[in-house]
Amino acid sequence: MRGVLGHFRELDLAVEAIEELKRGSFGPITVYSPTPRHELEHVIAAPPSAVRKFTLVGGLLGVTFGYWIAIWVSDYWPLVVGGKPVASWVPYTIIGFEVMVLVGALSTVAGMFVNSRLPKVTHTVGYDARFSHGDFGVWVECDPEDAAKCEDLLRGKGASEVRRER
Amino acid sequence: MAASAKPVDARDIEVLHRPNIASADVQLPAVRDYEQVDREISATLSPTAAWYIGLFTAVGFLLIGIAAWMYQIYSGLGVAGYNPPVMWGVYIITFVFWVGIGHAGTLISAILYLFRAGFRTTIYRCAEAMTVFAVMTAGLFPILHLGRPWKFFWLIPYPNWRYIWPNFKSPLVWDVFAILTYLTVSTTFLYIGLIPDIAVLRDRERNPIRRRIYGVLSLGWRNSDREWRHFARAYLFLAAFSTPLVLSVHSVVSFDFAMGLPPGWHTTIFPPYFVAGAIFSGIGMVFTIIIPLRKWFRLQHYVTLNHLDAAAKLCLFTSLVVGCAYMVEWFIAWYSGLQVEQDYFWNRIFGQWWWASAILYTCNMVLPLSLFSQKLRRNTTWLFILSIFINIGMWFERFVIVIPSLSHEFEPWQWSGYRPTWVDYAILAGSFGWFSMWFLLFIKQFPVIAIAEVKEIVKPRLKKPHDHGIDVAGQHLAFERETPGEHE
Repeated sequence: MRGVLGHFRELDLAVEAIEELKRGSFGPITVYSPTPRHELEHVIAAPPSAVRKFTLVGGLLGVTFGYWIAIWVSDYWPLVVGGKPVASWVPYTIIGFEVMVLVGALSTVAGMFVNSRLPKVTHTVGYDARFSHGDFGVWVECDPEDAAKCEDLLRGKGASEVRRER
Repeated sequence: MAASAKPVDARDIEVLHRPNIASADVQLPAVRDYEQVDREISATLSPTAAWYIGLFTAVGFLLIGIAAWMYQIYSGLGVAGYNPPVMWGVYIITFVFWVGIGHAGTLISAILYLFRAGFRTTIYRCAEAMTVFAVMTAGLFPILHLGRPWKFFWLIPYPNWRYIWPNFKSPLVWDVFAILTYLTVSTTFLYIGLIPDIAVLRDRERNPIRRRIYGVLSLGWRNSDREWRHFARAYLFLAAFSTPLVLSVHSVVSFDFAMGLPPGWHTTIFPPYFVAGAIFSGIGMVFTIIIPLRKWFRLQHYVTLNHLDAAAKLCLFTSLVVGCAYMVEWFIAWYSGLQVEQDYFWNRIFGQWWWASAILYTCNMVLPLSLFSQKLRRNTTWLFILSIFINIGMWFERFVIVIPSLSHEFEPWQWSGYRPTWVDYAILAGSFGWFSMWFLLFIKQFPVIAIAEVKEIVKPRLKKPHDHGIDVAGQHLAFERETPGEHE
C-alpha cells in the first residue's frame, strides 16, 4: 500500500483538505482523529455501518435458541405440574429475552470487529501515535505519479507535516 | 429551525444562564485542550501510598470473608444464622443489594447515553466499572448460600451424563440467565468503551512491557474513521440492549420473591419497585465512589458540581419513586382486606422489625428529601454522607423484604426471629473487600474518566473561529462560552 500522509494540528484544515482530496479523485482516504467529530463524519460521508445486520441476526438467533432450549428440555422430561402445559411460553419468554440480549450484544461486538478489521496485529501504514492524542491525520492511497500532487495539496491546505509511506 | 426566528425573551435568557447539563450541551471550561485531557487523566494511573493502603485494607477484608466461607464449608450452613423458618438471610439480602448497586452503572452508561444526557460523560466509566464488580460480587452470594457450592454449575443447561436439565419454570434458573447475561453484557460494554482510551495509554506509555500489554488490550485500535463509525454504531446498539436488560434483571430478581407465597412477597408491584430501588441504591454508591475519587485525583474540573447536581436530581427522583412504592405496599396491604397481609405489615412497621423499618424509611425516604435544596445538591460533603445513608438504607430495605416475611408467615407456630452470626458479618465484610479490591485495581490500570468522550466536548484546535452547539433559542453557541456554575 502506497500513499501520502498529511498531519494536521487543526481540525478545520483537515476537513478542508479532505474535501479537496475527494474532489481530486485520488485513492481511498483514511482519516485519523483522537475522537469522533461530526465535521469529519459529514465530509467523509461514509455509508451506514453494517453492524446493525449482525445485531439483528444475532438477536434473532438468540431469541430462537432461548425458546428452543427451554421447550426442548421440557419435552425431554415431560413432567406435568399443577395441570399446566409442559412447555409454557410465558416463563420461557424470560429465557428467550435474556439469550436474545446475550447473543445480540456479542454479535454486535463481533460485527464491530469484523467491519473495523480488528484486532490488528501488524503495523498500520500511515498511522502515527500523535493521532490518538490531539492531531488529525489524512492518509490517501495514491500511485507514485500522483503522490507529488497529493503532497502539494496537503501542504497547501496547511498540513504541518507531509510524508510518503509504503 | 423555527425557533431560531423567534426573538429571545427575558425568560429564555434566564434559562440560558442557569446550569443546564441535562442536555447534551455540556462544556468543561477548565479543560482547554486534548493534551490536557490526556495528561491529567493518565496521571491518575500512578499508584500512591493511599492507594496501596486502600488495596491492602480491601484484601484484608476479603481474606476475612474467605476464612469465614472456608469455615462454613467445613462446618455446614448451620453456622450462618439460618434458623427455620428463616432459611434466607444475609446472603440473599446482600445478593439483592449488590445486584441493585450494579444497576446505576448501566443506567448512567446506557440509558443516559440514549437520552443524550450530558452529565453522564465524566462519571459513566466509574459507574460502569462499579456495575461489573458489583455483579461479580452479587454472583458469589447464591453460591455462598448453597449447601454444596461446588455444584453451582448444575444450574447451567449443558448436555451431561446425568440426563438432568434445569427447570426453566424456576425463578432461580431465570436468575442464572439474567445475572450471567448482565455480567457478560456489562463487561463487554465496559471493555468496548475502554478500547480507544487504552490506545491513548498505549501511545503514551514508555515502559515497553506495559506498552505491549496496552497494545494487546487495545486490539490495534488506530482511531481511523472506519473504526469510529462502526464503534459508534456498536456502542449505540449495546446501549439499546443494555437498557431493557437492566430493567429485566432486577425484575427477575424480584420474581425470586414475588413467585413465592409468603405475605409481603406475593405482589405484582415488586418488579418496578425493585428496579427503582436498584437504581436509587446504585446512584448512592456512585456518589460514595466518585466524590472521594474526584478529590484524590484532583478531577473536580471534570466531574463538576453541575454533574453532581444533575445526578443528585436523579437520586431524588428515584428516592421519590421508591417512597411511592413503599406507600403503595402499605395501601395494598390495607385495601386487600387480607388479615395475614395486614398483620404482617403491622409487625414489620410497628412490631418485631420496627427498628429495621425505621432505618429503611429514614435513609431512603426522609433524608433524600434534602436534595430538593440546590445548596445541598451542590455540597459534596453532604452528598457523600447522604450516599452512605442510602447504602445502609437500601441494604436494610432488602433485610425488611426478606426477614419479616419469612419470620412471620401464615400461622403463629411459623413465627420466629432471626439473628445473623459472625460468619454472616465476616462474609458481608468480605464482599466489600472483594468489590473494593477489583475497583482499586481497575482505577490504576485504566482511566476512570473516558478520555475519548471528554475530548468530544473539548474544543479541538481550529485555525478559524467556529461555533458549536445550539442554545435554547436555536442560536449557535461559541466553543468558548462557559456554562455557569462549572467552578466550585
